[in-house]
Amino acid sequence: MRPEDVLRAINEARGDALVVPTMTAVPAWRTIAPEAPSVACVGFMGGASSLGLGLALAQPERRVVVLDGDGSLLMQLGSLATVAGAAPANYTHVPFANGVYQTSGSQGIPASGSVDFAGMAEAAGYAFTTRIETLEELRIRLPELLSVQGPVLVELAVEEAELTPMTAPGGDPLRVQVNRLRERLASGE
Amino acid sequence: MPENERIPAPLIVEALKAAFRGQRSAPAKDGEPLGWVLSVPDTHQRSIIAELEGDDELRLLTCSTEDEANAIAAGLYIGGAEVAIMIQHAGLYASVNTLRGVGLDGGVPLFALVGLLSREPELEPKDSPRSMVRFAGPLMDTFEVPHALLETRDDLGLIPEYYALSRERSGPAVVFVGRETA
Repeated sequence: MRPEDVLRAINEARGDALVVPTMTAVPAWRTIAPEAPSVACVGFMGGASSLGLGLALAQPERRVVVLDGDGSLLMQLGSLATVAGAAPANYTHVPFANGVYQTSGSQGIPASGSVDFAGMAEAAGYAFTTRIETLEELRIRLPELLSVQGPVLVELAVEEAELTPMTAPGGDPLRVQVNRLRERLASGE
Repeated sequence: MPENERIPAPLIVEALKAAFRGQRSAPAKDGEPLGWVLSVPDTHQRSIIAELEGDDELRLLTCSTEDEANAIAAGLYIGGAEVAIMIQHAGLYASVNTLRGVGLDGGVPLFALVGLLSREPELEPKDSPRSMVRFAGPLMDTFEVPHALLETRDDLGLIPEYYALSRERSGPAVVFVGRETA
């Protein structure tokens, strides 16, 4: 799957979900969903799953979708257990598994090709896990994956992205994103 | 150390509640916690953790790492919740990049109680022969993070004071727990 097609499909299906993109998902999400209630995990690689967990706990009536990376998730793999322990019903975790650290030059991640994120999430105690390899299947299953009781983990087999934070820098600083989303949520939006 | 010199955990929990209430714009709704405490268990603060486990107003979440605690705190803050972090000095060292990214670049008011395990009560932390104790304060100075030392009941006001300070500065503030709590 092309990550950009995946992000378009998620944007079409997300409803009022809060979204936490990280790494290669960031520049594409900025273009595809500029109005979405989002805050990017930038500058603390590996933190997306936890940032999204905090949002999900504070906003239990809203779905939270974490657009994670496989290399990113490996940096904070213990977060699978923390998420499972907190058990947020409104949490959908979507690692984009391209097998490489694309932003730094596409070096392979440890155990690339054999590491099983859906399996690890299931073993940690996520309520629902799956792996999807085609865009067609993703489009069909997205409504379920964004509404079924979580925590949910959807591992996506994807190609490398067109852009990375290195080739397409920009976007609002994290401080601006934090304040903007906090104000939108406080206003009841 | 005599038992009566240690701060009872219930007093610290009450100080946390006072800190949270001081920042809330409205009382907690039914089913909503007054605030969250994110913990990577710390020996100095184990009596507080035990106290929190039975508390009806505060929600305790154990995290796998201090990096997670910082990022979860950011999400809770963005979502409108009150939140404090309880960790050990070793965890502070382990999570400095997330502290920097979330707290300094992101402007998230991270408030943390940080246990100074093995701190010698007769010495100032800066004079400790233990690097873990000695460098904790200077590390926060390097990051321009305000910090204070909690040792006796007279220091309990530091908790709401530094919690409020983190909100005012939109950044981290740390209270070191210099002695094991009772």
